[in-house]
Amino acid sequence: MPRSPGSAGNPPQVPRRTALLGGAGAFGAAVLLPGCGSSGRDEAPPIPEGAATGTTADGGVLRMARPPASQAETLDPASSLSAYEYLGALYNRLVRMDESGQVTPDLATEWEPSEDGSTWTFRLRDGVTFHDGTPFTSADAAYTLRRIVDPGLASPQGTVLEPLIDPNGLGTPEPGVLVVGLKEPNFEFPALLTSYHCYVIPEDSGDTIGRSGIGTGPFRLDTFSPGGRGRVVANGDHWEGPPVLDAVEMFAMTDIQARVNALMAGQVDLVSQTNLDFATARVVGASERATIARSVNAQWYVLPMLTTAEPFTDPRVRRAMKHAYDPRLVIDVALQGTGVVGNDNPVPPDTPYWTDHALEHDPDRARALLAEAGHENLRVDLYTSSYDPVFTPMALAYRDSVAEAGIDVTVRNASADSYYTQIWMQRPLMATYWYTGRPADQLLNQVFRSGSSYNETAWSNADFDTLLDDARRTADEDRRRTLYQDAQLLVVEEGGAMTPMFADRLVGLSRDVLNYREYGFEFDYLNIGLRP
Amino acid sequence: MLFYVTRRLLSAVVTVLLASVMVFAAVQLLPGDVATQVLGQDATPEAVAALRDQMDLNRPAVLRFLDWIAGVVRGDFGVSLVSGEAVAGTLWLHLRNTMLIAVATVAVAVTSSIVLGVLAGLYRDRWPDTVISTLTLIGMSVPEFVVATLLVLALSITVPVLPAVVLDEASAPVADLLPAIVLPTVALSVVMTAYIVRMTRTSVIDVMAGEFVTTARLKGIGTARVVVRHALPSALLPTLNVIAMNVAWLVGGVAVVENVFNYPGVGQLMLEAVHNRDLPVLQAIAVVSAVVYVLCNLAADLGAMALNPRLRTGERSTR
Repeated sequence: MPRSPGSAGNPPQVPRRTALLGGAGAFGAAVLLPGCGSSGRDEAPPIPEGAATGTTADGGVLRMARPPASQAETLDPASSLSAYEYLGALYNRLVRMDESGQVTPDLATEWEPSEDGSTWTFRLRDGVTFHDGTPFTSADAAYTLRRIVDPGLASPQGTVLEPLIDPNGLGTPEPGVLVVGLKEPNFEFPALLTSYHCYVIPEDSGDTIGRSGIGTGPFRLDTFSPGGRGRVVANGDHWEGPPVLDAVEMFAMTDIQARVNALMAGQVDLVSQTNLDFATARVVGASERATIARSVNAQWYVLPMLTTAEPFTDPRVRRAMKHAYDPRLVIDVALQGTGVVGNDNPVPPDTPYWTDHALEHDPDRARALLAEAGHENLRVDLYTSSYDPVFTPMALAYRDSVAEAGIDVTVRNASADSYYTQIWMQRPLMATYWYTGRPADQLLNQVFRSGSSYNETAWSNADFDTLLDDARRTADEDRRRTLYQDAQLLVVEEGGAMTPMFADRLVGLSRDVLNYREYGFEFDYLNIGLRP
Repeated sequence: MLFYVTRRLLSAVVTVLLASVMVFAAVQLLPGDVATQVLGQDATPEAVAALRDQMDLNRPAVLRFLDWIAGVVRGDFGVSLVSGEAVAGTLWLHLRNTMLIAVATVAVAVTSSIVLGVLAGLYRDRWPDTVISTLTLIGMSVPEFVVATLLVLALSITVPVLPAVVLDEASAPVADLLPAIVLPTVALSVVMTAYIVRMTRTSVIDVMAGEFVTTARLKGIGTARVVVRHALPSALLPTLNVIAMNVAWLVGGVAVVENVFNYPGVGQLMLEAVHNRDLPVLQAIAVVSAVVYVLCNLAADLGAMALNPRLRTGERSTR
């Protein structure tokens, strides 16, 4: 999430490192551009739309550069310092999320709620074994969930699940059946188990899992060194069938330029969890060895207005700020026209609960609202930093766009290093982003609900909270969708978050990589392979 | 002589102490909280509070500092706040790796810069001097990470003969790291050579105009012998200090270059530690850098003595 990731984000370090040597990275790109560009200077090479697909070679080793979560990173999926890239290779969850945002089977084959939604029964896959040969049973699943909600573990997903799951209500009537008793009815519960903190680990392995990495996934752990290199090898006994690759080698690289250089020099095949800036992406895309793929709508950008700070305490001012800007202009400037309009709604377009409700761009209406609120000629500071390359262009585009409505925005650059401790949730108006990939219920509850620790606008709306509670208690799916859509409507109309756009993540990878597929927090380790 | 060395050693200890006090104070002033940084940004406030307690962060900074000094005297640099491992072990590994680059860089830079500097000095204002001086000015003006980037472009991407980044980690055997030190060494040598060449050139010009050189020439000694036996020892005197400063700079100041190459040296460890507010690691690096700095300067001064003809004759006559 914001710092990205907040609870469900990927390792927060990612963007932070980007900032570290951002200047050097930009320079590198500038130097490389004339050298590698195949077309002329005035016509920048286009950035490819999708990853190459096709028949892969049998086996092969994929080398991946990744930003380390920390020098203390761990293979424990529940930890806030989990080494993200390893998780999807080593483990499975009970349920996962497909590209359209639907919850689909993983280790659980089917699931159903009790009539009142206070108990969920998961039927588990037969014949699945962990890498050490022990069979996977409901006891492992129960242990995994009990551990995540243990306050002593302080798992990020614990703050989401702890209020819901009753640790004493976890039942294992049969090895193939898991019963989850909830503290209160919740018909949206399975979606919350798609988090990457919810990977299933063997019973009682909590003390060792951080180094052993024993799961049921398509790869088993060979070596792992925190903040260093590691290797996972194909698990021939994987229940979905063996993966295409023989092994994946992972190399931790803190510096973003180092990761890109390694790709360009052919030392690695894929740069993970790294959103390349447009200049670098064009250089990579134009090179002989490497190209660019997109993780579609991987992040959403926000200009959160702190609703507890002047002048944004007044809902009319917040609404005026939204009416005043043209998201198309912001996209054209900040994303070079490649993003999707956000309409101030953080739920990704075309996911199941999304609503297309939007406030139209209307400078006159903005002016009128400001006059009504006694804030004509509003002057505000908008904070940005080099933490992410899109922040500053987005802030500048917003400033230019709202000038027509008589709003005078001053863009202020803050230090990237302390951006999320000194600016985020501290300054009335700033630029930030979150990774998409969490279900609508989780993101609305985490980022917008009164009192939630990631509520970056400090917005508090009793109607909104009630809608979310009602939705969770509603068995009928259509009715539930309507409630979530009503909740989004409140976010759009009254909330403090301006969400101009959703953006693709630009991923650098070798031209030899085939069938790369990544969306939200799902990475397809099973089918990715190398060109024969 | 003994008095001189003792005095230098004492001032060295004071310097090291002052350095650690200043680093400690500076880290305290950095924005952000160690506990938040350590846990990652999606940590809950409760977890952060618990860790603050566990790490004693609620104790006054002065007390924590005194504890630490007491440990260092016993050779214990404490435990990393991030990895939970002893700082000393990690630091020595990274120091070893940086030393690999440092030694190679010094060897390359000192050799080439003395040769170039002497050439430039001897051929003052003629074409070899013009070429060398122009190149060194460029070398001084271009930051080392730019040189590094250009080298990667030329030798790793366009003509892939050398690795662009190091894939190994700090504990890799020296033999594995050797191919990876070539580019960092060249990048750093370019910058370092530039400074030393300038110094050597000026020095050589000065000395060659000196009376004792004229005397030597009048005695009929050949140019090569005059330069090597008479002029060079004197000319190298002021250069030694520049070399010493550069060696010290190498140990502490190669952070950017090491990051560009993902090289697991002290510079990378330091950047990492700054980011994570890993106080014990930072302080250990500061102390070790201060020690290296002081030692290099000491060595330069002693070396200057050895090269100084007056001091040498003085020693002979007392024997």
